[in-house]
Amino acid sequence: MNKVKSFFNKLIKKDGTKTALTSLWCALLGLILGFFILLMINPSEATYGMSSVLGNYLVFTDPADKLNYFGQTLAKTAPLIAMSLSILVSYKAGLFNLGASGQYSVAVLVISFLGVGLNLPWWLVIILAMVAGALYSMISGALKAFFNVNEVISGIMLNWIALYLVNGILSGNPLVWDNAHSEAFVIESGNNAYIPQIGFDKLFAGNDIVGLGMILILVIAIIIFFLFKKTTIGYELKATGLNKDAADYAGMNKVKNILIATAISGALAGLAASLNMQNGFTSWKLSSVPPDIGFLGISSAFLGGLHPLGVIFSSYFIVHITEGGSMITDLGFSPEVASIMTSVIIYLSGFVFFVKEILRRYDLKDELTRLSRDKEETA
Amino acid sequence: MNEVYAIEMLGITKKFGNILANDKIDIRLQKGHILALCGENGAGKSTIMSILFGLYEPDEGIIKKDGKEVRITDPNEATKLNIGMVHQHFKLIDTFTVLENIILGDESLIEYKDNLNLFKKAFNYLNKHVFKLIDYKKAREEINKIIDQYDLRVDLDKKIKDISVDMQQKVEIIKMLYRQNDILIFDEPTAVLTEQEIEEFLNILRNLKNEGKSIIFISHKLNEVFEVSDEITVIRKGKFIKSLVTKDTTKEEVSSLMVGRKINGFNEKTPKEPHEEVLRVEHLTMLDPFSKKRVVNDVSFNVRKGEIVTLAGIDGNGQQEVIYGITGIKKIHDGKIFLSKKDISTYSIREKIKAGISHIPEDRHKHGLILDFSIYENTVLDRYYEKEFSHCFIINEKNIKKYADELIEKYDIRSSGDGNTNVRSMSGGNQQKIIVGREIERNQDLLIAVQPTRGLDIGAIEGIHELILKQRENDKAILLVSSELDQVFSLSDRILIMYEGEIVGEFLPKEITKNKLGLYMSGAKKDEVNAIKENENE
Repeated sequence: MNKVKSFFNKLIKKDGTKTALTSLWCALLGLILGFFILLMINPSEATYGMSSVLGNYLVFTDPADKLNYFGQTLAKTAPLIAMSLSILVSYKAGLFNLGASGQYSVAVLVISFLGVGLNLPWWLVIILAMVAGALYSMISGALKAFFNVNEVISGIMLNWIALYLVNGILSGNPLVWDNAHSEAFVIESGNNAYIPQIGFDKLFAGNDIVGLGMILILVIAIIIFFLFKKTTIGYELKATGLNKDAADYAGMNKVKNILIATAISGALAGLAASLNMQNGFTSWKLSSVPPDIGFLGISSAFLGGLHPLGVIFSSYFIVHITEGGSMITDLGFSPEVASIMTSVIIYLSGFVFFVKEILRRYDLKDELTRLSRDKEETA
Repeated sequence: MNEVYAIEMLGITKKFGNILANDKIDIRLQKGHILALCGENGAGKSTIMSILFGLYEPDEGIIKKDGKEVRITDPNEATKLNIGMVHQHFKLIDTFTVLENIILGDESLIEYKDNLNLFKKAFNYLNKHVFKLIDYKKAREEINKIIDQYDLRVDLDKKIKDISVDMQQKVEIIKMLYRQNDILIFDEPTAVLTEQEIEEFLNILRNLKNEGKSIIFISHKLNEVFEVSDEITVIRKGKFIKSLVTKDTTKEEVSSLMVGRKINGFNEKTPKEPHEEVLRVEHLTMLDPFSKKRVVNDVSFNVRKGEIVTLAGIDGNGQQEVIYGITGIKKIHDGKIFLSKKDISTYSIREKIKAGISHIPEDRHKHGLILDFSIYENTVLDRYYEKEFSHCFIINEKNIKKYADELIEKYDIRSSGDGNTNVRSMSGGNQQKIIVGREIERNQDLLIAVQPTRGLDIGAIEGIHELILKQRENDKAILLVSSELDQVFSLSDRILIMYEGEIVGEFLPKEITKNKLGLYMSGAKKDEVNAIKENENE
């Protein structure tokens, strides 16, 4: 019994466990608050509404439907994981990539022309989309590295530039623009740029957007995990992010590190676009605001405890409740309610570090009393 | 007759955790006098003045103003008692004008005084409670009066960011006078000023004194202390040492009181003949990036194998910048640096490290460590890229752990856990041991150690001194920067004294006494040195 207890104590003391616990707390808090919102708007349907938000695909009675929508949730999770990793990489290096939406948009431009227009193979389109995202992100990086321009400001500016650039170039262009639906052509299965499904469609009851992308992003997440855990590049990025003066002192090249961090971050934002667009799910629509996935990535990265593997779960959670939320419109809630509800949950998820800080202080107090006790004992 | 003091602080004691910052300190300021508060860095000067200004509350002791006991719980209280303070770092708002800064917090509102009709009454009421329109005209008149009275010329309409530091100081002084303060505290007011500006500042002090203000003036520069003060109070390591009347004492006496007479661990070193030059610095000049002031001015020296050369000086006299220049953390403006005869002036930091420089930085939290890294990760902070620790970008964790565990063992680095412990959770002494161990183990030709024992307890200090002396035995060239006289004397083979960015004297430890060294460090001997230099030139 004692053994179990001490093991549990050790587990609790571990930083990773703490982060995971706080993330769970925040998610729970968000769910409770979301439930209150539903209660306020329509008390009689609130419980049922909540269960469909939480249940998502589980509310279907037909097992085939369940599987199909589960597959859809997974497929939509992949791009968000990529986006979370994008935010995470830059954050670890002491930068804040608020320009992820812009990088995503520019990647969409590349995907539309090369994928739809030129019909290049899917892997090449993915690589080029990542390159485009990386290059666009490196504009902010270079401004930061050489002129010390705040990357948040330049990132936001570049979001708008990218948005209108992509709007302007794509819309009405006969090569890529579907006038009938007034959006860019969707990359359908059969198209070269369509990411292969490698049998997942059969596994998920004929769902046609789930595929290799899911596996790909898991591999990438593991690569990012190893980048920070095992490589000198990751070591330098972390050192720069935690204490740039010490990184300087140790002779690390600031310019190089900023460029590397922004490039990786941008490439991942580009990958998010590929995973979202090259599976027949959606395409670029005219819009007057930058794609919101760039900002959703921030919540997801924080909810995931800024851990490359943690964001897999946080991204899934966010997509899960967003998908579930889109179903409650059938219960007489307006679509806005679903958005408000999911936003509240996601918003509270951002509190992870706040809660963690409180826990840390509590812990510190504990530590101090322990230390002083030790001292008395030795004296 | 019982003399009534403007301010009496009796038996003031203040603890921060376990550190006794002030231990039963007595300060008596006579009306219309200038009292100089002298002591080394960390002696507790700023603490006691912060207590008087209400920033801290003392644990023990009483404060009397004009013979009456008062309690000062916050700066507003102090202002009400007409106590004003100019902090070392000015408390001004950069983007406000001089006028706005002066009246900030003490704005007089527009108010009709005579012929009050209903409208004017209503306006007065509304303005007092709602609009709060400021009467700039009246404020300007009052301030101009003060400017004339004390001869403090400043342009009221310029923004703070557009005026020079000495002007900003005048603004701070006017601010105090505008609030009708009659007890004025200056915390190291001359640290930021140039020679001529200091002269002007001292004149202002005399003017203020003639107008009946009582002044406390913190400084460790004895020249200016002797020029303007009436009394001197010396504190050392948080303790009250002595109060003296300026005209009855000498600079030598005060400086010996400041540093203390006790000299320990003087000649435990084995004699050693230095040979081969390792570091050579020629005409090094460095500028402050903002003010373009020369913080290091034409400094030349060398360090040879098997000797410890110390840059001694009070903090902020350019020693830090010399080291930044040598290690590459800051750009050098002019001059050359040679390491083993190779010109390394234009090398990057990494290239300099590879060329053979080890550096124990002054600020272990800012430069020396990454606090959220583990001990393992910190032990290879400046050598993770070496073959032993990584190959093709992949970190060799096993080797790092092995190496770090050796270091932990050899340098007795203690933490609550193993090498995975976060460095943030460790004590200062053990953190410093990581840095010292790391830099010494790299076995480079040149070891630079900047204030290597700052903030450590006596045991840790001795350990680090031993390690440095051992490096000397091993025939390394060692450049030490220190402002602690004990350390300077117990370690150095040669002492270079820096004052205001220049080397003002070079001595062997046996040629100079502590008191004399203290005098050089506080600039008292500078004129003498200049005179000698001029003679030589002629």
